[in-house]
Amino acid sequence: MSESKAGGEPIVRLSSVTFQYDGKSVLEQIDFTLHKGDFCGIVGPNGSGKSTLLKLILGLLVPKQGTVELFGKPLSKFREWSKIGYVAQQAAHGTGGFPATVREVVLSGLTGKVGLFRWFTKEHKRHAEEVITRVGLGEKIDAHIGTLSGGQRQRVFIARALVAQPELLILDEPTVGVDQESIEQFYRLLRTLKDESGLTMMIVSHDVGVMSQWVNKVACLQQRLHFHGSSDEFARAEEQILKRMYGDSIRLLTHHH
Amino acid sequence: MLADWWQYDFLRYTLFSGILIGLICPVLGTFLIVRRLSMMADGLSHVTLSGVAAGMLLSKKVVIFNSVNPLFFGMLFSVLGSLFIERLRKVYRAYQDLAIPITLSAGLGLFTVLISVVDGFNADLYAYLFGKIVTVTEEDLYALIGVAVAVLITVLLIYKELFTVSFDEEFARVSGVSHRWINLWFTVLVALTIAASMRIVGVLLISALITLPVAASLQLARSFRQAILFAILFAEVAVLSGLYLAYWLDWASGGTIVLAAVLILLAVLATKRIKVMVAR
Repeated sequence: MSESKAGGEPIVRLSSVTFQYDGKSVLEQIDFTLHKGDFCGIVGPNGSGKSTLLKLILGLLVPKQGTVELFGKPLSKFREWSKIGYVAQQAAHGTGGFPATVREVVLSGLTGKVGLFRWFTKEHKRHAEEVITRVGLGEKIDAHIGTLSGGQRQRVFIARALVAQPELLILDEPTVGVDQESIEQFYRLLRTLKDESGLTMMIVSHDVGVMSQWVNKVACLQQRLHFHGSSDEFARAEEQILKRMYGDSIRLLTHHH
Repeated sequence: MLADWWQYDFLRYTLFSGILIGLICPVLGTFLIVRRLSMMADGLSHVTLSGVAAGMLLSKKVVIFNSVNPLFFGMLFSVLGSLFIERLRKVYRAYQDLAIPITLSAGLGLFTVLISVVDGFNADLYAYLFGKIVTVTEEDLYALIGVAVAVLITVLLIYKELFTVSFDEEFARVSGVSHRWINLWFTVLVALTIAASMRIVGVLLISALITLPVAASLQLARSFRQAILFAILFAEVAVLSGLYLAYWLDWASGGTIVLAAVLILLAVLATKRIKVMVAR
């Protein structure tokens, strides 16, 4: 029912995808479709393969079995990477010492789109400034990124992902290390982006409570896809689903010991 | 004293070479350091050294290599060494910094064996190790000009790619930036720069000129562009004052330049400390 309501064309499609790492199975038989306009939250315990799923979609990893399609094309033939914006998991940490301003980091989001041997034009620079203002960092545009708070730095990375005007935005644990107030602000920003430009989004978060209030689709992952539907359906069956997933993992642990 | 620098050819060559090295070493150094690859210069300089020794041996034993500048063998070895490092980095994905000590040891091992065959240490070798003004030839200068032009054109043409890959390699891959070719070409340029800079600062001290000016610049820079510009400024001051002092006092040029760079770094750190104290 939810599939037909979404109606949009499929942006991401995984068909019976299996992935192993060092001989250990991380993902098994994943069938997953993301339609245009979806705002999908991926939920699952630590080590359930959430980040792996994103990396498979981004082409950073190659599935052992099954196929990944982006915008209707098989991954191996897909070249329009500027259609996809990516905000990585540790993005809010670690890069503080790097000598760069907000402006420089956000502009780097255009590198792939502009292409080799070309310089950024005035147009590109003005667009980057607009995006920086839009995420609320207008006053910090020439600040060293090391001087920003965790929440502000997170918005820099979102601006970098948005500057190439992607159609799909993929966020991996974007709220880790970000204070409560900024998290609220952050989701409101995502909602605005979705409403204004019809952005399709996929977000991985361990904070199910907060996330499920904002998304319209939920996928529960624990090696396999345990649930894939609308957030309303998820809300109705949440307790059962989570008990099944986390309960399974607890049973597995006791088996080992 | 200053007039000497224009009167004598070798001093003019030295001066021009010094200015070029002071330009390209900190530029490449900035990218290397932010990528946590500052040891790369050390690894490659030792490989270059083995190349120079091999060149000396060949020019002694094989007639057709008689007049070939050992510098070119140094360049060849250095480039091969850089490709070797890139390969090793793929083999040891989880321990990428292991690639450099492996390459360094291989280079140093080969070097010591080769010099034992060439009848030990001679004055020529000393110049390659520590840098010596009077040994700079016209040919050395032309080789360096070639490398410097390649470095500057590259940085001008693919600055945005170099920045994007250095800042966040995963993001670069995801946004379709051809990181593999950029990494490879960049490493080759570092290898060539090290080989071409040897005569001035010497193989053992080249990595100092790649890292020290950048270390000072990182203390002050607010943007990446500033980091590069400050690093160039500090490197040029170190090279020019070091060369002048070395000629005047008859010191080893490489060591004098590096000491000047160390002094600049200390001065920057001290200034920053004082500023913080005053602000309190």
